[in-house]
Amino acid sequence: MEMSARMEMNASAAFFRFEGTLVSRPTLTAAAWLAANAQGFGERIARLGNVALAAPFMFETPLKDTTIASRMAWMALRDVSEDRLVVLGEDYATDFLIPNLREVGLELVRAAKSAGHRVVVISDNLDVVVRPVCDHLEIESVVANSMEMRRGKATGRLNDPVISGHIAGDWARRFAKEHGIDLERSLGYGAQGEDGMLLGAIGQPCAVSPDRSLRRLARDLDWPIVED
Amino acid sequence: MSMVRDTLRGKELLVTGVSGFLGKVWVGFVLDRIEELGRIHLLIRGKRQQTGYDRFLRMVERSPAFRPLRARHGANLHAFLESKIRVHEGDIADPNLGIDAGVLDEIAGRLDAVVHFAGLTDFQPDPIQGLETNSRGALNVADVTARLRVPRLVHCSTAYVAGDRTGRVPETLVPGVSPNGTTFDPMTELELAEAEAKQHEVRSERIDRIADRAKALGWPNIYTYSKGLAEHLLSQRTDLALTMLRPAIVECAHEFPFPGWNEGVNTSAPIVWLMSSWFRRLPASPDHHFDVIPVDTVAKAAALVTALAMRGEAEPVYQLASSSANPLLFQRAVDLNSLAYRRRYGRDESTWVERNVKRYFDGVFADPDRDPFPSMYMLREGVREISKLLEEVDVKRFVSARRYAKEGPDLERKRKTAIIDARNADRMMKRIEEMLRAYRPFIYDKDYVYETHRIEAATKRLSAEDARAFGFDIAELDWRKYWIDIHVPGLEQWSLPVLRGERAPEDPPFIHTKNESQAPTEPPRPFLEA
Repeated sequence: MEMSARMEMNASAAFFRFEGTLVSRPTLTAAAWLAANAQGFGERIARLGNVALAAPFMFETPLKDTTIASRMAWMALRDVSEDRLVVLGEDYATDFLIPNLREVGLELVRAAKSAGHRVVVISDNLDVVVRPVCDHLEIESVVANSMEMRRGKATGRLNDPVISGHIAGDWARRFAKEHGIDLERSLGYGAQGEDGMLLGAIGQPCAVSPDRSLRRLARDLDWPIVED
Repeated sequence: MSMVRDTLRGKELLVTGVSGFLGKVWVGFVLDRIEELGRIHLLIRGKRQQTGYDRFLRMVERSPAFRPLRARHGANLHAFLESKIRVHEGDIADPNLGIDAGVLDEIAGRLDAVVHFAGLTDFQPDPIQGLETNSRGALNVADVTARLRVPRLVHCSTAYVAGDRTGRVPETLVPGVSPNGTTFDPMTELELAEAEAKQHEVRSERIDRIADRAKALGWPNIYTYSKGLAEHLLSQRTDLALTMLRPAIVECAHEFPFPGWNEGVNTSAPIVWLMSSWFRRLPASPDHHFDVIPVDTVAKAAALVTALAMRGEAEPVYQLASSSANPLLFQRAVDLNSLAYRRRYGRDESTWVERNVKRYFDGVFADPDRDPFPSMYMLREGVREISKLLEEVDVKRFVSARRYAKEGPDLERKRKTAIIDARNADRMMKRIEEMLRAYRPFIYDKDYVYETHRIEAATKRLSAEDARAFGFDIAELDWRKYWIDIHVPGLEQWSLPVLRGERAPEDPPFIHTKNESQAPTEPPRPFLEA
């Protein structure tokens, strides 16, 4: 996990869940693309197969568990060099994510910045993928997963604490305390059911083009819903 | 407070090898960054119809190495050169470097040090020239240095004089003991080698005979042998203070004169080209060190060592390499190369095949003792067959008379272009094949880790200002950024055209020499040797 910019004490922030509010591609596609661009053709096929094993845990099946899916997907990148991850991460962000940023998310980021909120992007994707997008949006604070590296190569494990699909309210409160953020005055934007607990811990939650479960939760709790 | 600038303030240096890659960058760097320097005397050979002076003038006006100097001085460039440079036409292979004895006596009283960069860098040169330039030439430079009142010689050698060994290479030299431990007399060895080389009229025989002598002493080729002999010969001299620089693989500039500049075909260009081609197999060991070092890192360190030598504080040997402080292994270099070309081939101006196929082919390692499929030999055979076929083909037979009447000349032109392309490809593959054979000891058989404690220690003693300007900063180099954003684009622009047999790119003519309002139409010539 990474938080690159220290907040002023009791600053207000705008928390954006990367997946769903800013980009529509799920994390698994980044893992698949990185695996498909490993060094050597045989290696690419093997790694892609590894990512495919994570799919049943990602989608609406009885096995659904995004944390397991995330860990399994990133395991496919074991022994990929740090250079390759960084360069391909930049390429993935430049070629696929930046040209397809969600207009509604961009508008909300602009509004949050102009209202004086510190923008914090939270993602269960790898920092090498999220960081170039946030650099493009001039967002300094990024909380994303990072791959554990040993002698310049990925071990396939994520560094602790792992950001998963579900982010508990406790995490948000701890994070706010560490970085001097007043959660009550802060904004929270999410798009998926898994974001419910995070949004629940933030003073001013908002659902952005939400999926079915987050929409239901937003209606129940009277959170505003912003559509595309 | 700058120790380097203060030491060089008002001093005069004799420099050889300014027409070479490193020499050019060093002279450009020193002129640009050390304004306090008194004067540089340059030894330059005349070539064909060009005098040494004309060659230097063309160099300054057209070589990208001197862009910062041109940008800084603009219309006053010639006046600046007049105040800082004096060209002496000569040759290191000649006694007294070919400089008139009177001139030598005149300048000897003023010179403070000699910096010797000149040398042949081909791995297997004609031994007559190799020994004449690299070994005998170094002795001639030493003779001239000895005539100085403060005789200090900074001699540029190569890290690869380490020869037949593997592992850590200390910054030492045991005179008269070769890399494989054989005791020998350097002067006798040089004389015997020169005599043997002259016995053989056929060049390839000369190369074979002298390469055998080199291997018997533990040097893998004539280049390292001739440079190694020079080190041993110079270290026996008691009439001068000697400091030796041993740079590793000197490659694209990191910052000076500008990121990416390179000249000619240095060691990494064929490797980078090979990795970007369809062949893409490198006969190297992935875990061995690829000891690349940017030319400006070497230039900075050489300026620092020169200053230390002039203060009498220099060590006898300084290795300038990356393998110890910031190692780059072949595995990483090949990976970075693939990533660099993936980006390069992904650009809009690339061909469809490059963008959609070639960019996904990454470099791989090959066993040099086993021919892969398809082997380089097979590829060359194929290209030669295509060339032959194209030569024999009668275009008229393949198109209608009507079409031939309309498009005949165009088709014939295309056929001829294809023949030339095929021949060039064959020539290039042959050259790469020879180079890889010559590189084998350094990229597969042996793994060197050059110690660089001395230049690191010298850097630590510098002030912050000097450390920034002249410190040995290889440990700070980000290989990823350097390789992808600087090195590969630099080689693509400056070196690979030369490898393909094209002319080396030059800057356009220096406009200030033609602008009467800014500079005289005839450039001033007083800095030509009298």
